[in-house]
Amino acid sequence: MHKLILLAIVCVSLEGCASLGVEPWEREVLAREDMQLDANALDTAFDDHIYFSKEGTSGGRGFGGGGCGCN
Amino acid sequence: MADAALAAAAAGVTDMADKDVKIGAALAAATCSLLGTATPGVSMAADAEPKWDIESAFLYYGESDDRVKDLSLSAHATRDFGDERTLGLDLSVDSLTGASPSGAIATDGVQTFTSPSGRKTYSTPAGEIPLDESFLDTRFALNGSWSQPLARLYTVSAGLGFSSEYDYQHIGANFGLTRDFNQRNTTLSAALAYGQDTVKPVGGLPLPLTQMGDAVDDAMSPANRGDSNDTKDVLDVLLGVTQVLGRHTVLRVNLSYSDSSGYLTDPYKILSVVDPVTGDLIGRTPAPGASGPTGVYLYESRPDSRRKEGLYAEMRHDFGGKVLQVGYRYSTDDWEVDSHTLESRLRLPFGSSSYLEPHVRYYQQTAASFYRYSLANVAPLPEFASADARLSDMDALTFGLKYGHVNAGGNEWNARLEFYQQSAKAPNEVLIGNQVGNTQMPDFDAVILQIGYHFKL
Repeated sequence: MHKLILLAIVCVSLEGCASLGVEPWEREVLAREDMQLDANALDTAFDDHIYFSKEGTSGGRGFGGGGCGCN
Repeated sequence: MADAALAAAAAGVTDMADKDVKIGAALAAATCSLLGTATPGVSMAADAEPKWDIESAFLYYGESDDRVKDLSLSAHATRDFGDERTLGLDLSVDSLTGASPSGAIATDGVQTFTSPSGRKTYSTPAGEIPLDESFLDTRFALNGSWSQPLARLYTVSAGLGFSSEYDYQHIGANFGLTRDFNQRNTTLSAALAYGQDTVKPVGGLPLPLTQMGDAVDDAMSPANRGDSNDTKDVLDVLLGVTQVLGRHTVLRVNLSYSDSSGYLTDPYKILSVVDPVTGDLIGRTPAPGASGPTGVYLYESRPDSRRKEGLYAEMRHDFGGKVLQVGYRYSTDDWEVDSHTLESRLRLPFGSSSYLEPHVRYYQQTAASFYRYSLANVAPLPEFASADARLSDMDALTFGLKYGHVNAGGNEWNARLEFYQQSAKAPNEVLIGNQVGNTQMPDFDAVILQIGYHFKL
């Protein structure tokens, strides 16, 4: 059931994508470093590592956090 | 092949100027050989400005009540080789000390346990949650990745990772492909990661749901231990969409699937065995002349597979130079641990070159189907059981503030201070007799302090 809902969300999102977006000359703000989704990679890596060690679930954003025998 | 390329890249750090082109070519060749494709006509353009972008940081993580402390040094470096070809290197060293909850319950009397090595004993005062104080570790981690265009609108990436602790080792590889659409306003991505971990606990692997025995000297093997090590394999798949929503807004949505198999038990966690009516710990007397546990404690047992599915969404929105970041993650798995994570950051620039960034994060999870506060002393025992609070009902809150300042050279100093508070709860259905209304969970507060310097070479 969850999978179907997720699939529906993705399909609807993709459908709408064609009409979304900006022209190449409208990317001034989007090109800024603080608008990059992968900005602050180190903060993210630390957080993933801490929460991986202390909570029951991990991942989702990327592959970060694993590879640790944290107890 | 990729190993050689990474080694070449590491050597290149000291002698970048004239080796850049060679390294780029070596990495391109390595990636192509990994991908099984012919080396594309990679341009060795001399006009590509060589550039390292390095984030480095020191991190202190400290839990209340002298529990876990971690000092960590990390660097994340990316090297631009031009033509959108980049090398990423991550290096991290952690030093962990402190005490970690063993899973045993607090009782009215002093409790004695045999340490994980099986050679010594330690005691917990009456009324306190038992903590295993032999928690001490140093961890090294190294990751390398290479990313480059594969064809127009396609980008490919591949990476290798390695980490080592005295009782744990990890090796992993990952591979990713992205495709831009819609004037690069939409990016679809698919990525795959595979990791193999080796667990080599001190004293050997405890046999699941067997009893902790008396301490023994070096000439003897500790009771109820099996092999010296075991492995676990983890396969992760990630499918993502990144969508520009407007001049000020970008959204990313990921679907993730993770399959872990092998040794997923925590070899250092135990469960208290209690009277099925009163819920009080069953006492035990060590053998004459020996020292050992004063109660009956069993080593935990987890299933040997776990499948997780997740949805992650993240949005960044600019309004007049301020950037709001909101993220949400839903995760569900066949251990019945379902979780919701909501997170937000707001970057507030001030002056000409500084910013403040408040951060808040809320996390909530349900207990694993085999989570137990303790085990009733009745036969038969369940096949799987763990008293690890990380698998119980839980919520957690993080508040933080980051400050950053860009200096005249364009490099950034930053510091962040965060407070993390975790509160676990044992579901009522796993409580026995007197435990109802009297549970003590190993809740804790932690402080995270990070000092970082982000510079370019």
